[in-house]
Amino acid sequence: MPIRNFFSLVFRNKEAAIGFGIVFVYLAVVLVVAIAGALDLAVTPYDPLLQNVGPSLGAPSTSHLFGTDFLGRDVFSRVIWSIPNDFLVSFVVVAVALVVGCVIGAVAAFRGGLLDELLMRFTDVVFALPALVIAMVISVALGPGLTHMMIALLVIWWPPYARVARGESLIVAHQNYIEAARFAGQRTVGIIFTHVLPNISLTMLVYATLDVATVVLTYAGLSYLGLSVRPPAPDLGEMISTSQDYLISAPWLPIIPGVIIALAVVGFSLLGDGIRDALEAA
Amino acid sequence: MNLPKYILRRAAFGVFVLLSVMTITFILSHSLGGDPIYAWLGKAAGLHPELAQAYIQKYHLKDPVLVQYYYYLLSLAQGNMGYSPSRNFLPVTEVILETLPFTIQIALFAIVMSLVVGVLLGVVSARYNHTPIDTGIRAFYMTGYASPPFFVALLLLIIFTYTLGILPSGGAFDPTLTKPTWITGLPILDSLIEGNFPYFTSALLHVILPSSALALVTFGIVTRVLRSSLLEIMHANYIRTARAKGLDENTVFYKHGLRHALIPVVSLSSLIVTWLITGTIFVENVFSYPGMGRYVVQALNGQDYPGILGTTIVFALVIVGANLVADILYAVVDPQVRLG
Repeated sequence: MPIRNFFSLVFRNKEAAIGFGIVFVYLAVVLVVAIAGALDLAVTPYDPLLQNVGPSLGAPSTSHLFGTDFLGRDVFSRVIWSIPNDFLVSFVVVAVALVVGCVIGAVAAFRGGLLDELLMRFTDVVFALPALVIAMVISVALGPGLTHMMIALLVIWWPPYARVARGESLIVAHQNYIEAARFAGQRTVGIIFTHVLPNISLTMLVYATLDVATVVLTYAGLSYLGLSVRPPAPDLGEMISTSQDYLISAPWLPIIPGVIIALAVVGFSLLGDGIRDALEAA
Repeated sequence: MNLPKYILRRAAFGVFVLLSVMTITFILSHSLGGDPIYAWLGKAAGLHPELAQAYIQKYHLKDPVLVQYYYYLLSLAQGNMGYSPSRNFLPVTEVILETLPFTIQIALFAIVMSLVVGVLLGVVSARYNHTPIDTGIRAFYMTGYASPPFFVALLLLIIFTYTLGILPSGGAFDPTLTKPTWITGLPILDSLIEGNFPYFTSALLHVILPSSALALVTFGIVTRVLRSSLLEIMHANYIRTARAKGLDENTVFYKHGLRHALIPVVSLSSLIVTWLITGTIFVENVFSYPGMGRYVVQALNGQDYPGILGTTIVFALVIVGANLVADILYAVVDPQVRLG
């Protein structure tokens, strides 16, 4: 399907368009912050790490849009600087899980036999791990940091991809063009790369889009438990956990980062649903 | 393959999964950085080297991981999961037996709430498809599903405890009340059976917010699946037949449509269980609820290997059990599954 038709199909769906809009705004923020970070420019009204730029626990105002935290840091600036964390982690985790899952799934489906059995039983075992607990154990073992967080999440994240990819590959495996490729003398590895992966990629991409939302949520949870960035670096989950003690005097402190997380998740869910519906309708 | 054989095969696989989970978690948890003896004994480790030495010997801390694993399996075979440093070296089994009922308590309330609310809203949403009611319900479950559990928990705390002041902020019961005696193991049920109404009321009040927070993030799974399954089924031929023979719309919708639409909801059970486990870990920590979710975070922060392992095994047991039940239910409903 030409890409332009695809977009028009997605945009005919109002909810998908809203989702796309939300994701687009977040991506713009990520891009601006990334460029600003690389060039060492100030894009936010205040330095996110600078203390006492306002009163301790100051309410939202014109000078501090989202108020100030207990150390007098500007919450708006901190929120803006922490959004890229969530997106970086989610995209990397989903992308690597997608690649690993597709390869494992396609190989398992095409080689069959013992290799299939071994790969899928291994997938089942990892799938049955209490995901959050294992991710917590790994990230405690590795220490704080975004890279460590990605590794911790990746260890438990790929199994559903492998399962979906295997199922999709099995459907592709029975198509005539695969038979044709075999008769033409193409080897299994070649077939997987030239015929199977391109054909399962659309389904996998839809799954991945919906899955970004889940990674964002899980990452926020690990961050909330203090396993993500090293303080004083800002992060949405960490901002919620550190403001927990001020629920009476400054309830906006946990509410704002929470809404920012939820909105990102809603955006990806709407977009993923929209793409899926558009593909099903096509 | 017949049904008992299928069940046996799935159960055997479940045992295999459990053993793998145990091995993986053991190796992972024992590669946590830092010297555990300082995390376990605090300053005492430095002040009393002989004490530290005794602990290192007793818990085989300096042995290779596989040797430690051998000792762990040995004591596990005798029903001993080790001693929990983050809980004053109480036996892990004892801590789990103490904390698990509290987790079951909020999980049960959460399951009931999310099923009732989930099914109800799913039905209403499908019935009033393409009306503002449907849009509202979809926005509601999507927001719930999209919100981190700890955030929902904090919101409930801000609204019901700090603003309205009608529900307690944390804990599982008022500690000044006499605790119920052990009958079923679930304090809330035991106190009701015993007629210990002050404790029952207090425990009930303490369970509302944590379980509501869990239900709010999980009910969307049910609503979403039920809604789309209902919408699909209402286009089926047998529904048209039912309408054609003159049945009124309510009978068609509830007796013919809903009954079949509920089948896919059954297969969601394992997904819901996984979400609930993840959710309890956060929600219990927000409400200082003395369950396993709180214990696992404490164990992690205190490098409490036996505690981490014990809780992970219990969580894995629940997940494997839920998957097994889902597999069996599915095989009973759809005999084709067993052939595969």
